[in-house]
Amino acid sequence: MIIRLVEITVQSRVERELVDITPQVEQVVAESGVRDGLVNVLTRHTSAGILVTEGLECLEQDILDHLERLAPDHPQEYGYYHNRYLDFDGRLGFNAGAHLKSVLSGYFATFPIAGGSLVKGGRQRVYFAEYDGPLARQVVIQVLGEP
Amino acid sequence: MMDFHCHPVLVEEMVARHPELERAARQVFSIGNRFQPLETLLLELDVSGLERTVLLPIEATRTRGLPVYTNEQVAELVALAPRRLVGFASVDPLATDAADRLERAVADLGLRGLKLSPPTQEFYPDDPRAYPLYERACRLGVPVVMHTGMSWEPRARLAWGHPARLEPVLADFPDLRVVAAHFAWPWSLELAALALKYPNLFVDTAALYFDNPDDFIADLFVHRLSLTLIERSLRHQVVFGSNYPRVEIKNMARAVRRAGLSEPTLRLLFHDNGLRVLGEVSG
Repeated sequence: MIIRLVEITVQSRVERELVDITPQVEQVVAESGVRDGLVNVLTRHTSAGILVTEGLECLEQDILDHLERLAPDHPQEYGYYHNRYLDFDGRLGFNAGAHLKSVLSGYFATFPIAGGSLVKGGRQRVYFAEYDGPLARQVVIQVLGEP
Repeated sequence: MMDFHCHPVLVEEMVARHPELERAARQVFSIGNRFQPLETLLLELDVSGLERTVLLPIEATRTRGLPVYTNEQVAELVALAPRRLVGFASVDPLATDAADRLERAVADLGLRGLKLSPPTQEFYPDDPRAYPLYERACRLGVPVVMHTGMSWEPRARLAWGHPARLEPVLADFPDLRVVAAHFAWPWSLELAALALKYPNLFVDTAALYFDNPDDFIADLFVHRLSLTLIERSLRHQVVFGSNYPRVEIKNMARAVRRAGLSEPTLRLLFHDNGLRVLGEVSG
């Protein structure tokens, strides 16, 4: 049984974006030595997410726009209780919209590994989803299985 | 376009070089966020539509045991991105060699102004022991950014930040350009009165104490003060400041741009007034 955990940094460059991290996930799987098993991909952050969808720029924009409609950063008709001073952070919380998007999109993805490769649909891509950038973010990739 | 109020406490390259900066960030500045590469700060400026930011240290050795960046460390950071970063100095205003330290920071390190924080450094701005420092700043032609109003730092008492104690300095040093940080909240109206009276006083917008940037700036500019007060009387004396990283630059810039000020006034806040404070343009 092999268990390998790798942490990568994703530098987001704008406030909200989807960053395709499929190549990094495939590389970690390939270098793990696992032929049959599982790979878990998760973000360590609560204002970001992990998404799996088709790798199209138009779809990336639709997803970000839809999440913004569901959980707006600056709603006009209501406010967020999160808008208060957080003494443990030394700052106010005013990114409730980003946290809500993270809840909606989820923070992880799992794929089987067979024959040393990721088992996924041909159009599926793994994305790191930034909802509160730009920031340097951490993504954990864990591979478990038999050599 | 410039942010006049940034604390570089989370820059991980500097923490890697100077591990004591982690303690300064956590224990003195009281910030809990993760350290970030310098690139994140520069990208914050990019997404906010700004080119430069002013870096503000706090010399807190006498009161807190260590500085939040030494002047040398500020200069070292500026050298990593000299076109984007403007470094200020900080000295203990009650030290007998404070004026000489400021002069060395300006002459030898290329720093462009002085940052003082009465609540952290535990002094009143009108303390006569600080006057030689103000005299030297005048002679050097550099501005002073003075914390006013409430401080989030746990040991910082409100009284140290009352803007009334700034008035003697403004009166006694009419050639000294002073930027009152944080709009002196909750004494913003008192600070506005000082700004009306003293043309050498500037104020920055780095005020956020409840709600979110949009709601707080609207409450401050529209309800506690008046947009016309800024538009008609103070538009040449307000500079944009974010207070990063307690507030993201993008969020504070958005709030100020949405507050209802005219485009020419916003140009003054984000651009022209900051250049005047730095002495890059006259007038």
